[in-house]
Amino acid sequence: MCGIAGVLFKHQGSHEIGKTLIEMLDGCQHRGPDSTGFALYGEKKAELQLRFIVPVEDQARREAIDNIGILLARHGASIVSEQSVGCSYQIGVKFEGDLLEFTKDIEDHAKLVSVGHTLDIIKDDGTAHELDQTYHVGQVKGTHGIGHVRLATESAVRPEAAHPFWATGFEDIAIVHNGQITNYWKMRRRLERRGFTFHTDNDSELVAVYLADKLEQGESLSSVLETAIEDLDGTFSFLVSTPNEIGYAKDNLAAKPMVLYETDDMIAIASEEVSLNRLFPGQSINSSEPAPGTFQTWSRSI
Amino acid sequence: MVKIDLSRTSITDANEQIRASARDRQDVEIINPDARHNIGVGLVDPITVRVRGSAGYFCGGLSDSAHFEIEHNAGWAVGDNIYQGSVVVGGNAGAIAGVAIRGAEIVVRGNMGSRAGQVMKAGTLCCGGNAAFMAGYMMYGGRIVILGDAADKVGQDMSAGEIFVGGKIESLGNDTMIVDMEDHERDSIMEFLERYKLSYKGNFTKVVNAGTKLRYANSEPRTRPQPFFVSSQSSNYWNAKVQEDIWIKGEVGRYRIRGYGASKPVPHLNDIAFVKDVSTVAARPEELEGINLKTTVGGRFGAKPISLSMPVMIAPMSFGALSRSVKIALARASRLSGISENTGEGGMLDEQRAEADQLIFQCLSGRLGWNVKDMQRADAIEIYISQGAKPGLGGQLMAKKVTPELAAIRGIPVGIDLRSPSRHPDVLGADDLVIKLQEFREATFHKVPIGIKMGAGRVNDDIKIAYKDGFDFVELDGLQGSTGAASTEVLENVGIPTLSGVQEAIDGLREIDAGDDMDLVMMGGIKDGVDVVKMLALGADCTSIGTAAIIAGGCIACMQCHVGTCPVGIATQDKVHEARYDIDRQSLNIHRYFESVRWQIAAITKALGYDDVHKVNRGDLVALTPEAADITGLPFRPEHRETRRPLTGLELLSRKAG
Repeated sequence: MCGIAGVLFKHQGSHEIGKTLIEMLDGCQHRGPDSTGFALYGEKKAELQLRFIVPVEDQARREAIDNIGILLARHGASIVSEQSVGCSYQIGVKFEGDLLEFTKDIEDHAKLVSVGHTLDIIKDDGTAHELDQTYHVGQVKGTHGIGHVRLATESAVRPEAAHPFWATGFEDIAIVHNGQITNYWKMRRRLERRGFTFHTDNDSELVAVYLADKLEQGESLSSVLETAIEDLDGTFSFLVSTPNEIGYAKDNLAAKPMVLYETDDMIAIASEEVSLNRLFPGQSINSSEPAPGTFQTWSRSI
Repeated sequence: MVKIDLSRTSITDANEQIRASARDRQDVEIINPDARHNIGVGLVDPITVRVRGSAGYFCGGLSDSAHFEIEHNAGWAVGDNIYQGSVVVGGNAGAIAGVAIRGAEIVVRGNMGSRAGQVMKAGTLCCGGNAAFMAGYMMYGGRIVILGDAADKVGQDMSAGEIFVGGKIESLGNDTMIVDMEDHERDSIMEFLERYKLSYKGNFTKVVNAGTKLRYANSEPRTRPQPFFVSSQSSNYWNAKVQEDIWIKGEVGRYRIRGYGASKPVPHLNDIAFVKDVSTVAARPEELEGINLKTTVGGRFGAKPISLSMPVMIAPMSFGALSRSVKIALARASRLSGISENTGEGGMLDEQRAEADQLIFQCLSGRLGWNVKDMQRADAIEIYISQGAKPGLGGQLMAKKVTPELAAIRGIPVGIDLRSPSRHPDVLGADDLVIKLQEFREATFHKVPIGIKMGAGRVNDDIKIAYKDGFDFVELDGLQGSTGAASTEVLENVGIPTLSGVQEAIDGLREIDAGDDMDLVMMGGIKDGVDVVKMLALGADCTSIGTAAIIAGGCIACMQCHVGTCPVGIATQDKVHEARYDIDRQSLNIHRYFESVRWQIAAITKALGYDDVHKVNRGDLVALTPEAADITGLPFRPEHRETRRPLTGLELLSRKAG
């Protein structure tokens, strides 16, 4: 019930990742009109960047932000920069402790959606262009990013259920997913026994946590994707991004669409070619469709 | 040559321009296509459309006689369901290239994606490069020619047709085998390749169906009919029906198959009553004339809605499950009563179209009898996801009913035990469904309503998807809905009751503030006008009646619909049996039954104090059982269980005096 897109510029420099992803997601907005999200990788910041979803009503918003302040103080983290926009509250903090412990506690008490030194996840109800108006996504420059459009079936469309999902406890990792994980509860219980907490019933959060867990054990992104295809049942195409890489995995039945296009300079992946073609209007591109049960990763030069 | 720039023209306007050019016999060139979806959909004239670039999903889909040349790539389902005509793709094609074609020539010069040629019936699908897995999945006929390699499961669950592979075959699918190729087959392929300028010198491996799964190994013995009304009595745990069931399973070694719906008692409309006493209304026909029963369905986005004289449709039932004569009688009765008829799976009959004023054309997963010309003469389109009797499964039609005539309209081999696919080739989620819906709108010029038929399962989610995807109406079918054939385990145990279905639908729509612009048509066990009014009071906009219409037209409810030798000529394709069915007489019986439904609806509406049936509401209802109260949230009023005794003449007199 969604569309996905990702782009990675292979060479160093500052690229128009915001504009690129807006175009790609606008191209497949018909696949998910309810909410849109971006995971954008920019220049590495000195401070840890956190983004929270907070209520839009003044009173509740103030309370939520005060609460976040108290939580941070509890862990000795000090706010260096802050910005409150749309449904989100974004801060840069000085923090020296154990990230997993820190974020676990914060997540229990606040809606933390993005953690990293290069990553920023922006997601909300509305279309790619609507998000751009509020969050100025089009002005974001960087190296790579992934994005998502979603059709929601829950009662209220809530921004925290939008993608991308941050890989809990592991900074600068994000995923977007199109499909359905059918062994969701089995995998979730397995991960819960290992100490992970879940904040939504969304199967995409499961993919994020699953990947984070494996990455934390020191596995490479490609080996994690390989085991994900074995471990996860269902129909899925998902994209994952790390500070320097982007990768995809596709289920054994190839039930969810995905096409990719690679040049010497970039790799672009999307649910439909119409999104890729947005980047090359009027041209034919030599795109390809990944085979079922496959995965691949690309990294940028650093 | 007419040039259309898709960077400036919407796809709907472009398709309209293509059709206009076709009428003038002018070829069309599409520039800046940039992989947009539904290019050339619905075209039924012999012109050539050249796409200068890549096309998105369904390029050339639902067309007949047209020729498409796509310079570069094509997305999912290129050439969907084409009858005559051709599509040539210069680059690669995505998944399900040539899905459901019925005679077209589809040529992909590059590689093609998975499930190419799924449920194709006739024609040629040719790939110059490699084919991804499951090429020829569930194909019913025609040929696939792959010059390169073929990935896993070639010909998976194919029923007929041939697959010729030039390169390596990774693995064969279920129930397939390799056989020698005939000389004339090779000659024909070479002629085809030459015509499309594909050079190939090597050999081919020919893959065909192995014939081990086309029929059930053991057929079910005929049993003495135990009518529905007997077998559904639940007084005995080990009753005669249970005993017979065990014996037959011991004989055939598999699940059993029968017709009709769930026969176990579940909470239903009988467990709900009207708050007001409606028994005393003296409803003479002339008093009911001012009561409005008129109903429209499907006007959400400006298409011409289905216009009904009362909130009732005839439920979708196929030519196949039912005989031609019955489909004609139903169509005629629908016209006489001012309501709509529905084709069900398996195609539209000319006589049915002629008899019915308003006809809904249903699209199922196997695309059996599905085609653009009948779409364009339908009054509404309905995409079938599932039905109440067997949610999540496709239709079943036993070999006895798959006659040459029926096989021809459906495009399948004669005499197989037909098990339709359980899912659509090109709809694997709500996201794909949006594009499919758009394809249907393009093929019918945005003029007719497009609905979705669903069996009640996870209604709360499904109804939201239907709303957000943009359907004009939903036909929702509960557990009690009947079928021509399904496994008894599924009939009895899968799905949720109609009452739960309507409640979940109403709740789901309210949760997303959907308003009331998408019409909800409820079906599954609706037997009379009383049920219709209760259903509308619960929140439905319209109802659909199947089983009751069949019974009105002579069905004896023996539940042997699947056997194909229906004693009254209804559920059969056997000419001798069908000859017993008197179309003129039964169509009038069905019509009179619907008029009694109309009378009941009007009488109850009046008794409830309204002049319009669409004013009835939940405040008019109470629940008689805790289960019904729990499901619907209506107040539990067991005291209403007592049947109200009609007033005697004296009492009536004294009331008038008082």
